[in-house]
Amino acid sequence: MTTYILRRLIQTCLVIAILSYVCFYLMTLMPGDPVDLMASSNPKITAEDVIRLKQLYGLDQPSYVRYGHWISEIAQGDLGYSRTYRVPVTDLLGPRLLNTFILSMVALGFSLMIAIPVGIISALRPGSKMDYIFNFFSFAGISIPSFWLGIVCIIVFAVWIPLFKAGGTQTIGGPEFGFWGAILDRSKYLVLPVLSLSLQQIGRFSRFTRSSMLEALRNDFIRTAKAKGLPRQVIIWKHAFRNALIPLITILALSMSSIFSGAIITETVFAYQGVGKLTYDSIIGNDFNVAMVSFIISVAMVLLMNLVADLLYGVADPRISYT
Amino acid sequence: MAWQIHALAILKQSVGANVEMIEEITIAPLSDANRKKLEQALPMWKIVLSQFLEHKMAVGGAVIIFCFMILALSAPLIQTLTGIDPDAQNVFNRYQAPFSSAIAGQDIRETAIEKFRTEHPEIAESLEKSLIDKSLVTTTTPADALFELTTKDVPEAFEILEQVGTNQAKELQQTFKTFSTYHLFGTDELGRDVFIRLIYGTRISMSVGVLVAIVSALAGLLIGSLAGFYGGAIDTILMRLTDALLSLPLLPVMIVIAAIDLQKLPLLKSLVSQQNESILKMILILCLFSWMTVARLVRGSILSLREREFILAAKTLGATDFTIILRHMFPNVIAPMLVSITLGVGESILFEAALSFLGLGIQPPTPSWGNMLFNAQELIYQAPFLAILPGIMILLTVISFNYLGDGLQDAVDPKAIRR
Repeated sequence: MTTYILRRLIQTCLVIAILSYVCFYLMTLMPGDPVDLMASSNPKITAEDVIRLKQLYGLDQPSYVRYGHWISEIAQGDLGYSRTYRVPVTDLLGPRLLNTFILSMVALGFSLMIAIPVGIISALRPGSKMDYIFNFFSFAGISIPSFWLGIVCIIVFAVWIPLFKAGGTQTIGGPEFGFWGAILDRSKYLVLPVLSLSLQQIGRFSRFTRSSMLEALRNDFIRTAKAKGLPRQVIIWKHAFRNALIPLITILALSMSSIFSGAIITETVFAYQGVGKLTYDSIIGNDFNVAMVSFIISVAMVLLMNLVADLLYGVADPRISYT
Repeated sequence: MAWQIHALAILKQSVGANVEMIEEITIAPLSDANRKKLEQALPMWKIVLSQFLEHKMAVGGAVIIFCFMILALSAPLIQTLTGIDPDAQNVFNRYQAPFSSAIAGQDIRETAIEKFRTEHPEIAESLEKSLIDKSLVTTTTPADALFELTTKDVPEAFEILEQVGTNQAKELQQTFKTFSTYHLFGTDELGRDVFIRLIYGTRISMSVGVLVAIVSALAGLLIGSLAGFYGGAIDTILMRLTDALLSLPLLPVMIVIAAIDLQKLPLLKSLVSQQNESILKMILILCLFSWMTVARLVRGSILSLREREFILAAKTLGATDFTIILRHMFPNVIAPMLVSITLGVGESILFEAALSFLGLGIQPPTPSWGNMLFNAQELIYQAPFLAILPGIMILLTVISFNYLGDGLQDAVDPKAIRR
């Protein structure tokens, strides 16, 4: 078990290292490096200055040399300085990470809370009208573009019926709310992003729950349990659902990456101050240090979640052993 | 009639007492035509088709996709029929509501008249002369006569030209006709017609989706079959790569790649021109990240096919690896691959729209559903229909592809076949 975790951790670190280099290289391919940008905004900088500055910052060197330099600074705990926000990257990331964590976890919890009962209900009566309707809605959920849903949500729930906030993370400059007031305030801003982020997941999870539940209900031990006269609830939850849980964990792990992808779009639409928006803004705005760090953090988060899901298999299914 | 006698014998045995009654039953002999029909085995595609037709939503999806394909293919035809240019800007008619008509601005009209005058100087001259002679215009200088018409309303100018009544006036009437345009879905932020742009967007989005799905399926087929057939080190390397790519959060990676300048890459420099760069880049990026599911699927089925007797037979007969993969394995993988291609189209369209929505995909002025949505964001309160229409198109297309894939999955799955 320990060796398994260790091996997986090393693998994950290796993947992150390779990816960070690839990302570093790709960023050098983006139009305009920091000095070019500086020169374009300041007419006093001459061509000689540009060359001198590039030498000073090491921008004239090949990408692997620059990567080595950058990674050694990261190793010393210096994440660099944001060009657009004029603060150290470390100060920038903390609250952003928390915001994204709240958003994605609430969305995940919400979608599971809806999808699992829906999936189980349709699996218990396959072919019924209920199943048909649920099936249609899951298909719609999978197919709906989340950014469009976000826009429609804003039009309907923030413009036509001003129930929720159209964008932002929390009220700024308002009166002091106190603990519960602050939570209420934040949840007002969270409703629409969570809705648009979780709809796709609901569709995917409910379809998956349905098929794995159907599979589980076909087992012989379910028939045995029925023949023994066990109550229906026990059969469904203890015998069928626990077995349906194993494939569900797989899709849960894989969906972490799609939730994070979705978070970028959702955060951009709703101007929610999370890592996703930070990643997008920094890549668009050529904010090199922030882009690299937030990219690596988002990739690492997803990869670690995959590892956690792999470990959770063992909890759900004791037959799986790690060797 | 041997089988009828045999059947009667069985019946007699089983029932015993009422033999007399049973002998009364006569079974109508089958006609030769009916018998042939009964004995003929259904070909595979017919079974699949009848299975598929049972899935009503999938059939509906197929119909919608077919309609959209026709619409996309006939985009230039629709353009000539309606006479609306998807790139014609009209800043005086921005954000028109649906079902409205717009009048071209003064500058556009004057340019059109200028063009008419230089192209047909004699017609213009005679028209100007007759206009002044009949005192239908207030000016007396012939050069200004036609321009004065442009300041009037289109129907009014039309009527004046009607009064001139010559064949030459008819020609000018055609020019005046183009000044007034009807917009079924209104106009966008530059006064361009939304309807025709949606149709051209269908062309772009659909072709990107279909191309990506096909290319990534071919790549997945190659990688999956290599990994599955040879196993060992090749399998390990390729599958680790697949797993790593599958677990990545795709959008951040795509954004990074979409933001790079392809001109800086030495190899692609010659391939990429300024005009098609964004579309080509889009297809490249989407292909790069969508072959994994197909590869895993193909690898899985080839792993199980490898152990089958007919592969062993082919091997003993001396078939090369290439022949075995191409002739004996691929036909067995085609069906599930078809399903995953269909589902892949929907996903690619969604990703394309998402990237274009973030401003990193297809670059304007080329219309795609995603960048139309991106532009619509600016004035979402005043012109909500601009944001809603492309979204509905995306939703309809993707849901159709998903249902089609679902129907195909049921249809080609041998376990689900009912006879």
